[in-house]
Amino acid sequence: MGESADVSAVAVPAMPEAAERHDLLSWLTTTDHKRIGILYLLTSLAYFGVSGILSLMMRTQLARPNNTFLDAHQYAQLFTLHGTAMIFLFVAPFAFGLANFLIPLQIGAADMAFPRLNATSYWLFLFGGLVVFLGAATNEGAAASGWTAYPPLSEIRVSTGLGQDLWIVGVFLVSVATIVTSINFVTTVFIFRAPGMTMWRIPIFTWEMVATSLLVFMAFPSLAATLLLLFVDRHMGGHAFDPAYGGSPVLWDHLFWFFGHPEVYVMILPYFGVISEIVPVFSRKPIFGYTGLVLAAFAIAGLSMGVWAHHMFTTGVVNNPFFAFVSFLIAVPTGVKFFNWIATMWRGSISFETPMLFAIGFLLNFLIGGITGVMLASPPIDYQAHDSYFVVAHFHYVLGGGSLFAIFAALFFWWPKMFGVKLDETLGKWCFGLLFVGFNVTFLPMHFMGVMGMPRRVFTYDAGGPLPTLNLIATFGSYIMFAGVALYVVNAIVSARTRIPVGSDPWSANSLEWWTSSPPPEHNFESLPPIRSERPVYDARVARA
Amino acid sequence: MTVGLRLFLSSAGFGIAIALAYWFTSREIVGTFMLGVMAFGLSFVAGYMIVAEREADLIGDEKNATIQSGAGELVGTYTVTSPLPLGSAVAVTCIGLGIVVSPVIAVLGILAVLAFGALFVIQSR
Repeated sequence: MGESADVSAVAVPAMPEAAERHDLLSWLTTTDHKRIGILYLLTSLAYFGVSGILSLMMRTQLARPNNTFLDAHQYAQLFTLHGTAMIFLFVAPFAFGLANFLIPLQIGAADMAFPRLNATSYWLFLFGGLVVFLGAATNEGAAASGWTAYPPLSEIRVSTGLGQDLWIVGVFLVSVATIVTSINFVTTVFIFRAPGMTMWRIPIFTWEMVATSLLVFMAFPSLAATLLLLFVDRHMGGHAFDPAYGGSPVLWDHLFWFFGHPEVYVMILPYFGVISEIVPVFSRKPIFGYTGLVLAAFAIAGLSMGVWAHHMFTTGVVNNPFFAFVSFLIAVPTGVKFFNWIATMWRGSISFETPMLFAIGFLLNFLIGGITGVMLASPPIDYQAHDSYFVVAHFHYVLGGGSLFAIFAALFFWWPKMFGVKLDETLGKWCFGLLFVGFNVTFLPMHFMGVMGMPRRVFTYDAGGPLPTLNLIATFGSYIMFAGVALYVVNAIVSARTRIPVGSDPWSANSLEWWTSSPPPEHNFESLPPIRSERPVYDARVARA
Repeated sequence: MTVGLRLFLSSAGFGIAIALAYWFTSREIVGTFMLGVMAFGLSFVAGYMIVAEREADLIGDEKNATIQSGAGELVGTYTVTSPLPLGSAVAVTCIGLGIVVSPVIAVLGILAVLAFGALFVIQSR
């Protein structure tokens, strides 16, 4: 599928050619959405690498009871940095990187609506993350109050060091970057679509990014305001969260989780889009229920704004039935998506290339995370499982088993488009196998640990009972996962060295990004096919045949 | 009515509905306030889009538009490099770091933000 091969394609007016530069300065000053997307992806993967090493250190500490590999304060810093990096610096920003690269290509645009603002948001994200980690270089160490920064743990009388302040500044910068980039996404999709690319023809991934961006608009200002309040509490004599002066830590819970729970969907909706792109391609069928998938995305986004206090059931001061009911409701549109993916595969001519394996891994893992989520939405169960390893298992099945597997699916699927070379399939399948086995060996036992009463965020535990064995198994699994990630890095290096070129459409895919060359030229398209459905490249392929 | 406008109108309607439902079932101020702000924001965007759409003529919304119908005069080229984004981000980071570490860094950051802001404006003309 190439631009020169199809006579029905219409040439885009040529832009004056600027010689493409690849030196360091060109990357530092780029406003090209594809390069910014790649910068986002590489930076978020780097933060993932660091955060993964931190998690291995934590699992090493927990491999046996009463271990002294880390002390309590070091452990608290590690789980704070791990959570912060995974949530603010990896899972969500990876989606923004993917969206930066893909959205203009999928809608037939030359760039984002605001290219310089786009670049600014990337640099703010990069620096915000570095500022968070800078805390580790201070005398008292990094922030140690968890990624949730609950007062009084994050107040000045407990967290006296500079690390907590740097955490506030860093996360604030990242939240500003996130809001700015979301404005860019929505504006681009609404305004910059190619002729014929109506909203009901844009790919599901782009739709999911519109829903994600709406969530960001609604949720992230709350985070930014809450961080400012905490800073005022710490340094300007404020007492918003201090009950001794009429403040309330529960106020933090409300404000933080008003952001925090929608953030979960900011971290999963884009990956629903990734799965919706990959499953039809490797099932050789159109996506089942395009409209249903889109409406389900917005139903999830809307409902997720009304569930924040299910994180606060045990405080005893929230309306548990209201939040339980709305939380249960989210399972309905999520189920719609699940059935649509299964229906897409049903009687399809399924092939099991690496992206499809990761997509199926996503479905299996996310199903477990979703079911335990419904369980935890029930206040009686939540009262038992709150702050236990059951919750740790649940959210890792959603964000690790779900988002992480979709991230690897995306990496294998769009790698040829980004770099013009394919990742090795054999290494890819081994990578999937190690990650799938490693993930489940690590996190499945945590359900049982939680039920047995092991609280989260503890740096050690007693020797008696089955906890030592379960923890050892979980630690073993985490090392298998590490091997899987390392194999992916090897794969990337091998593909960079061998550089076997692929065509513009190595998967026989459907959406517009597969029309242009791999990697795409600076202005994205030399030509465009007629756009008459949500599968313009498929249509052009059929017309040509 | 475009899909985008319908999207924001329905979101605003949902925001108002959930804020009211939450207030009448919970009588809790903080959550109601946040949902209210959210509903107001969405309503504002929807209202703005109603006004702005009068001027909008998006070729992407036309089902049968051809690629040629999107063609127009080539009014210029866009730059794919600019030092301003990196400079502005460094400046904003300096303000944040300066507030925590040293007022001097914060002041330098503010001056740099003003300078880069001016350059943005000049370059955009």
